[in-house]
Amino acid sequence: MLTAYGYIAIFLVIAIGFGIVPLIISLRERQTRPDPVKLSTYECGVETIGPTWVQFRVGFYLYALVFVIFDVETVFLYPWAVAYGKLGLYALVEMFVFVLLLAVGLAYAWRKRALVWK
Amino acid sequence: MLSLNHFLLLGAVLFSIGLYGALSRRNAVAILMCIELMFNAVNITLVAFARFLAPAATASQSLAPVSTVGQVFTIFVITVAAAEAAVGLAIVLAIYRTRRTISVEDVDLMKW
Amino acid sequence: MNLNLLLPEISLCVLAVVLIVIDLLLPQGRKSILGYIALVGLAFPAVFTLSLAGVQQVSFSGALVVDQVSVFFKLLFLIAAALVILSSFDYTRRLSILQGEYYALVLFATSGMMLMASTRELISIYIALEFTSITLYVLAASIRNDAKSSEAGLKYLLLGALSSGALLYGMALTFGLTGSTVLNDIASALAQRGISAAAVLGLVFIAAGFGFKIATVPFHMWAPDVYEGAPTPITAFLSVASKAAGFALVLRVFLTAFEPAEKTWLPLFMVLAAVTMTLGNFVAIRQTNIKRMLAYSSIAHAGYVLTGLAAATAGATSGMLVYLLAYTLTNLGAFIAIIAFSGQVGSDQIEDYNGLSRRAPVVSLGLAICLLSLAGVPPMAGFISKVYLFAAVFDAAAKNSGLYYLVVIALLNSAVSIFYYLRVVKAMYFGPAATEESLHTAFSLRVALSAAVAGVLIVGIYPTPVMQAASVAAQVLFH
Repeated sequence: MLTAYGYIAIFLVIAIGFGIVPLIISLRERQTRPDPVKLSTYECGVETIGPTWVQFRVGFYLYALVFVIFDVETVFLYPWAVAYGKLGLYALVEMFVFVLLLAVGLAYAWRKRALVWK
Repeated sequence: MLSLNHFLLLGAVLFSIGLYGALSRRNAVAILMCIELMFNAVNITLVAFARFLAPAATASQSLAPVSTVGQVFTIFVITVAAAEAAVGLAIVLAIYRTRRTISVEDVDLMKW
Repeated sequence: MNLNLLLPEISLCVLAVVLIVIDLLLPQGRKSILGYIALVGLAFPAVFTLSLAGVQQVSFSGALVVDQVSVFFKLLFLIAAALVILSSFDYTRRLSILQGEYYALVLFATSGMMLMASTRELISIYIALEFTSITLYVLAASIRNDAKSSEAGLKYLLLGALSSGALLYGMALTFGLTGSTVLNDIASALAQRGISAAAVLGLVFIAAGFGFKIATVPFHMWAPDVYEGAPTPITAFLSVASKAAGFALVLRVFLTAFEPAEKTWLPLFMVLAAVTMTLGNFVAIRQTNIKRMLAYSSIAHAGYVLTGLAAATAGATSGMLVYLLAYTLTNLGAFIAIIAFSGQVGSDQIEDYNGLSRRAPVVSLGLAICLLSLAGVPPMAGFISKVYLFAAVFDAAAKNSGLYYLVVIALLNSAVSIFYYLRVVKAMYFGPAATEESLHTAFSLRVALSAAVAGVLIVGIYPTPVMQAASVAAQVLFH
């Protein structure tokens, strides 16, 4: 019990130390001579405009919804694939029915223009 | 080592946090997230029970387990929860389009 | 695995998928044919269900059970679905509801309910329950660009998901303590190992999850808002079929899996029944919107039905089945009449029902009959089913004297309920009409209302076949 947590504690100490120690070393050793160019925003080279908490377009959510549904449904394919050899024809047909239903769902989303970027 | 009780405790604590959040938050999406937390607490409980109830099955390397009911249950909970969340977000979007708010306190055409 | 046993559900799902595909191919403006396809297509599951009458079989490793109880409930759901679809023809055309999705979802919900009535395994119970619930969330929110409908959908979904979380946690605990998800094995494990505190916790969580579905106190808060905001045919569907499906699950789970823990849940349901009917009736009195009034009345009726579970005898269970059937026909009739009125008057306020008997005499008569049946006035179905149920509960009181008080409370509640039902009847027949202009009701609505009212009167006057079927079915749960 203790030893199991002990390993985790040692691991944590090393992991944290690995991140912090180089920072401390560079903080102590480096020279600081700031000028405006060095202090400007570096990321991607462009100043950000406006606040970060903007609303995303509704289109993103619709895409995400469609994606999440189909993504999660594939969970059922994994156990089927793993045990496929033992299940036989019945399971094969069953899985075809399952995929067919998903296909109808996709066709529906397509026809209803849920996949079109508006 | 970690015993069944540790996992059950984790499940119970997560469930309580989720329940508290679902009852106290005012943002519809946040409530949905808290409910997802409750579902995941259930998943932890289920998988823990399944693992500790049938240790022989998981210890052996065979693919024919004695009981995978708990794991199967968990897979179904995950998928159903995703479907529920998708429908929930779709309804939230519909409400946002007409009302410009997703706070359940402002969604009050009919009293609760 | 015997697929024949699953034919009613399979045929319903195939019908729903076919509807979606036809909807994708149909041009705009020809969509109203979809309702007729859905209605006629219901003949297939009905025939398959009838062919299973008398069959007693378990399949899919105990997940699917076909017996008299499941056949009884399946026919009830099919009747409800047929009347709901028939009463939606006019409604979906008038409001902006996508017809293909609407009818397909009604059929999906029906097949989910049928699965709820014929499973005795926790995973299948959960899936059937969620299948039904998620389709109903969408249906409740299905009027496009209508703030009230979306709001109803959101409230139903948030509270429904919360309750299914509780249900799941209860199921997980029960599974962990008994090592099985099959109800019969849970029962034998509980009988063997005794009822621990954790088992009681699991039982209470499961009862909470089901309590939401059948709208008992304290899980009833969603009902009035959802009933008011949802499209009226869906409100009718929710108030009868979804509730009956919940009761089918409650019956199976508590009479089978938790049968060894009877001492724990009998008092629980006794208190729940008394509180539910009293609160439902007394709050219903104050309502001004007829859909909200019927929501509280449906809460009260759930309380009446629960008295049967508090008695937990075969007689009381058969009383519950008869009561649910009578309530289904009656409440559907009442809601169909409301659809007819609100389509013409454009309001669900009770004050707008003043003098309607002179503007729409036939529909008013139908609504009056249904409301009197809900109140329990002879010779309607509501009366005979109340007598049958309460008499059975009274018989069971010999072994549990608390049931005497429960029956007395139920009778007092029935007396109170007459007041608010009659208020609507009085408004229709004796209230001053705003105009004398007569109202035209769509043909489909008239057919649906006549069918429901005919059912109410037939069950009320000649209830013997229904009672026999119900008591045979109830025996299945007590062997």
